[in-house]
Amino acid sequence: MIRVLAIAALLLGMVPSAALAAEGGGGLINLDKSIAIQAINFLLLLLILGKLLYRPLLAKMEERTQAIRKSLDEAQAARAEAQRERAEHAAKLETAYAEAQAIRATALKEAAEEQRRLVEGARAEAGRLVESARNEMAQEVTRARQELRREVVDLAITAAERLIRKSLREEDHRRIVQDAIGRVDKVN
Amino acid sequence: MRSHERTARRYAKALYDVAREAGATDAVGQEMEQVAAVCAGDAGAHDVLTRPWIKPADRRGVAVAIARKIGVRKLVQDFVGLVAERGRADHLPEIVGAYRTLVDAELGRARAQVRTAVALTDAEKRQLSGKLEHALGKRVILEEQVDAALLGGFVAQVGSLIFDGSLDGQLARMRQRLARG
Repeated sequence: MIRVLAIAALLLGMVPSAALAAEGGGGLINLDKSIAIQAINFLLLLLILGKLLYRPLLAKMEERTQAIRKSLDEAQAARAEAQRERAEHAAKLETAYAEAQAIRATALKEAAEEQRRLVEGARAEAGRLVESARNEMAQEVTRARQELRREVVDLAITAAERLIRKSLREEDHRRIVQDAIGRVDKVN
Repeated sequence: MRSHERTARRYAKALYDVAREAGATDAVGQEMEQVAAVCAGDAGAHDVLTRPWIKPADRRGVAVAIARKIGVRKLVQDFVGLVAERGRADHLPEIVGAYRTLVDAELGRARAQVRTAVALTDAEKRQLSGKLEHALGKRVILEEQVDAALLGGFVAQVGSLIFDGSLDGQLARMRQRLARG
């Protein structure tokens, strides 16, 4: 505003000098009553222009300045927010990475444990199978041996029966009966 | 079979009670054995006495006639007639067995079923009876049965007591010992 008034004053100062120059030796402006009217017109115009244009322009400029400042503040805040989020993301990423490492380590440990358990189980099962097969074999051998013994005994006794039946005479029967009667006492 | 035996025991007990009153339990037992043997040996008589469609009175008449012909006392005749009339003639062997058990218990004696490879001599029978009587503490009646399947010796059974004096038994025991190892 001040600068505008200064420019206007400068122009007003130049006008009389211009008029004087015109009067003296053919100047541009005549120093008469019209200069006053022109000055008044100029002032009125200046006031009207200041009222209608300069103030809205200033308001607009101020509004623009505020908008720009606001945008700047918002951009600053957005930037700060972005930085904060980035930091937050970085922290989360770090945490997730650490968790992933921990999970991986745990999984590796569990896998190793499981592998060890499986190997031990398989080894124990193999041992049991071997032991079971050994026992079964021993039982089979015992059973076969008993079966063989039974068959041999059956054959021997059957042969003995045949031989006895063929060779027994009357006096043998009598003697066997006497022996048996003699053993009746031993019942009790 | 169980009810068969129960019925036979009931009839035997009734006969035993009457015979004891008459003081002839042993003699009645012997006569019953004769009647049972005849009925079992004569297929015709057995058929008549056991056929359910023959009138009870006729069955009774036939049974009494058989008993009379054998020459048994009146008590036995009546009893056999009653058994035939009631349709129990097929129970006679069991009745005789049950009656014999009652009489044996009364007289304090036991029957020994002896299975032998060859028939026992009288002396051997006496010896065996003596030994069994000594062992059991009661008089023993031997019922001998020659069994050709036996190798030698004998098997005597008195009630639940069994004495195995046969070669078969010895061989069986030897078989078990050898098989056990």
